[in-house]
Amino acid sequence: MALEIPADLAEKAAIMREFRRRRDAGEPVSEQLYAAHVNATNDHYATGPDPGQHIPDFTLPDQRGALRSLSNLSGPNGLLLVFHRSADW
Amino acid sequence: MLERNGLRIAAVSYDSPEVLQTFAEKHGIEFPLLSDRDSAVIRGFGIFNNNIAPGLRAHGVPHPVEYLVAPDGTLIRKYFVPNYQHRVTASEVVLREFGTTGEDAAVVSLRSGALTVEIGFSSARAFAGQEIGFFANFTLEPGWHVYGRPLPTPYAAVSIDFDDSRIVRQLFEPPEARPMKIDALNETLPVYSGSFRGLGSLLLKFPFEAGHTMVTGKLHFQQCSETVCEAPETLSFELPLTIEPFMVAPRTK
Repeated sequence: MALEIPADLAEKAAIMREFRRRRDAGEPVSEQLYAAHVNATNDHYATGPDPGQHIPDFTLPDQRGALRSLSNLSGPNGLLLVFHRSADW
Repeated sequence: MLERNGLRIAAVSYDSPEVLQTFAEKHGIEFPLLSDRDSAVIRGFGIFNNNIAPGLRAHGVPHPVEYLVAPDGTLIRKYFVPNYQHRVTASEVVLREFGTTGEDAAVVSLRSGALTVEIGFSSARAFAGQEIGFFANFTLEPGWHVYGRPLPTPYAAVSIDFDDSRIVRQLFEPPEARPMKIDALNETLPVYSGSFRGLGSLLLKFPFEAGHTMVTGKLHFQQCSETVCEAPETLSFELPLTIEPFMVAPRTK
């Protein structure tokens, strides 16, 4: 899938920086800034493959460093594969 | 809960295995946390968040999506919510795929005339910002029906609304209704009879005060037989839900 770089990336970055600065400093975040941040983050929301399609093959290390792919992750009825932002922040 | 239904869970993020190990140990997480360091798999799924400029800490994260994948790699269903602070719960997935709820999840029973309805949440507890499921089991005495959609006025279709400002999005999906010709009216209308089940979802606001809470809702319907049509009715109900305290991810740097 071609990666489209939005033209308003700099504007979004300013919103995200201000949001993070306020949160890290423990300053209140206005509802307006919160909404701007959520909207900037969720623009072009993409959800990937559709039901009925095959997901792309993948092999990734887990938290113990062991390589994992669908065949050694799935239970007998399947796998709930969760994509999330970060476990670090 | 997933395990009992033959499912396993794995989570993907752009964190290093070391960060994931720290997180797993801190929170006692046993299931695999996968490290997609260069976001290659995230890009491969087409869910790379390209709103975040290079240089920002969040550059490389995906749009949050949860995929239920069959053992052969076929996507069965996907779950996503339009705000990164919201998450779908395992209990909603299990309710939708297997029809079962958490053992301690509350159920309320409503009755009016020929109709009995049991409504319950997928789980007794949730975190603020999560999406939980609910079900409604309808049973009608023989000869009676309620209405589905699309429905002309002035009839009232079966619907459920949760009138709670802490719910930011709700959805109720009854099964497809059966067309029935009503001879007395010379009309064909979508109806339900016998027993049927509708499923729904509730997206909880974030933030949301932790603790025990009651969530109130309304069931709307109109019950009719071949010879009698009752007026549209609304029954109020409430279900208990425990909101877990907010958990802050550790700062490891």
